[in-house]
Amino acid sequence: MNSKTKLKTDRIEVRFWGVRGSIPSPGPDTVRYGGNTLCLELRLSDQKRRLIIDAGSGIRQLGDSLSSDPGDSDRLNADIFLTHTHLDHILGLPFFAPIHNPTTRLKIYGPVTCEEDPLEDVIGGQLSYRYFPVRQHELGASIEYIDLKEGRYDLGAGVALITKYLNHPLLALGYRIEYNGKAICTAYDTEPFYNVFCTDPSAAGYDEILAAEGARAAQEENDRMEEFYKDADLLIHDGQYTQAEYESGKQGWGHSPIEYVIATARRAGVKRLAICHHDPLRTDLQLDALSQLFGHSENNGDMLIFFAREGKTVEI
Amino acid sequence: MPSLSTTVVKVLETCNDPQASANTLKQVISLDPVLTGRVLKLINSAYYALGQPITSLTRAIIMLGVNTVKNLALSFAILKNMKGSGTFHAFSIDDFWLHCLGVGVVAKSLAAIKGLLPGEQEKYFVAGLLHDLGKLPLNKQFFEEYYQIRESADREQDPFYIWEERLLGIDHSMVGGLIAEKWRLGSSLFESLSHHHDPGGCSQNNLDLVTAISLANLIVIDLDIGNAGDRLCNQTLLSDLTTKVGADFSKLSNFQESVIEEIEKAKIFLEIARKG
Repeated sequence: MNSKTKLKTDRIEVRFWGVRGSIPSPGPDTVRYGGNTLCLELRLSDQKRRLIIDAGSGIRQLGDSLSSDPGDSDRLNADIFLTHTHLDHILGLPFFAPIHNPTTRLKIYGPVTCEEDPLEDVIGGQLSYRYFPVRQHELGASIEYIDLKEGRYDLGAGVALITKYLNHPLLALGYRIEYNGKAICTAYDTEPFYNVFCTDPSAAGYDEILAAEGARAAQEENDRMEEFYKDADLLIHDGQYTQAEYESGKQGWGHSPIEYVIATARRAGVKRLAICHHDPLRTDLQLDALSQLFGHSENNGDMLIFFAREGKTVEI
Repeated sequence: MPSLSTTVVKVLETCNDPQASANTLKQVISLDPVLTGRVLKLINSAYYALGQPITSLTRAIIMLGVNTVKNLALSFAILKNMKGSGTFHAFSIDDFWLHCLGVGVVAKSLAAIKGLLPGEQEKYFVAGLLHDLGKLPLNKQFFEEYYQIRESADREQDPFYIWEERLLGIDHSMVGGLIAEKWRLGSSLFESLSHHHDPGGCSQNNLDLVTAISLANLIVIDLDIGNAGDRLCNQTLLSDLTTKVGADFSKLSNFQESVIEEIEKAKIFLEIARKG
């Protein structure tokens, strides 16, 4: 299905324009799953609006598709939701062709940063001469920046947005979009909350109360994550590592082990789980193997699991 | 909002060290009322829409992650301190820090005596640590007047806040309340900052906490630990609040030793950084 196809009533269509994590990874080993960094497009039936999640390198081709679509070329209204401002999630924005078109109206949403700099400065920082030949104020499009926090937002026309802070080295948001009784969730870049405090009684600086409090807080935050995914029709989740890879020095990097994600999604009653944010070193053959291993397990119950591929669309 | 030079060296050292543990990070932040306030501000302004306000530094570090907290502390310590702000004329900054930490430690001990769980005990510590936050912007803005306020309060043997009100038209409780509101620290910290000289004026929900903070403040003044403007302890009020908190006076007498011990530990912790 391409972006020009009319959707059936009450449907949401999700298209994966980029599924790779960390850095664009083109090459012969990533041709089938794709090398572009994250960008998702959501189309809602009965609405002309588009919701875009993240502006990784995948957003370039999304922009090109919109520019060539007669239905969109006159005037594009789109909402872009940035999960966070790490480079792989924003680097495509300057190459998103509609931002150079004066008829384009964009709203760019994203989380606050710990430095409390406005989103416009954080995103706009890459639109300066040292990084790009067009400066922020020279862009054709009209852009409004909106800081998001954790909460529930009414996006109008029956669309609700619920945001949830994830566990990543930078404040990152998960998004839950509800429309016509359907729910789509994103949770990347994230890893399970864990007790960051020392739990070894023989170690210097061990504090029994702190260790217990840390464990309790981490468990409660993981419970809140599960609640956030509750009964989602589609959960698009970080699965950069296997459990074994995660345990070999990757804890604290802000990305999830696939086994944990599957178990959590099942408990939350998720109907379809898309694993994304593939490691840049992960080849097509390895992803095929992981897909074979995890996608067809009897442990999955009724939940459908797939490893996201660039260009794939899912209709909910 | 100036930070405190007393802790900044250790903050910089800890946050610049990629190997620094979460335990050390929590320890260093919990010794600085301004930094603790900033971390809670971030978590509560980010998470404002859902659930109860976060008043525990432990939970804030789990939720925000060690890196985010380090980055926050680092940018804050560098930006605020290199500008040379954060000095006091009315009393020394080290004495102010001792007072805040002392009230935090005593408040936590009161919570333990009341049999509260560790999470609640931390809330009492944080509320005590932050209770005088309103004095920092006032001192910065009215540097000379603050000296006069302290002199007048000493001379007339009045509470410090009375002379703040007389000379400035506003006192640190009101300013503390404004900070807590703006930083979305939640009602328990808001009332601890705005009502610690008037615990009877706070809501029923926070009455136990605010009364304990008010008592902790008096105990620390009575023990002559640090100085944040008040040198004289109102003994009638001390006795009255002790009854209200339901604390055993015989246990209160043990405070001096334990508070001094905690403060010595903190000093050693910070001093190590300076030598390094």
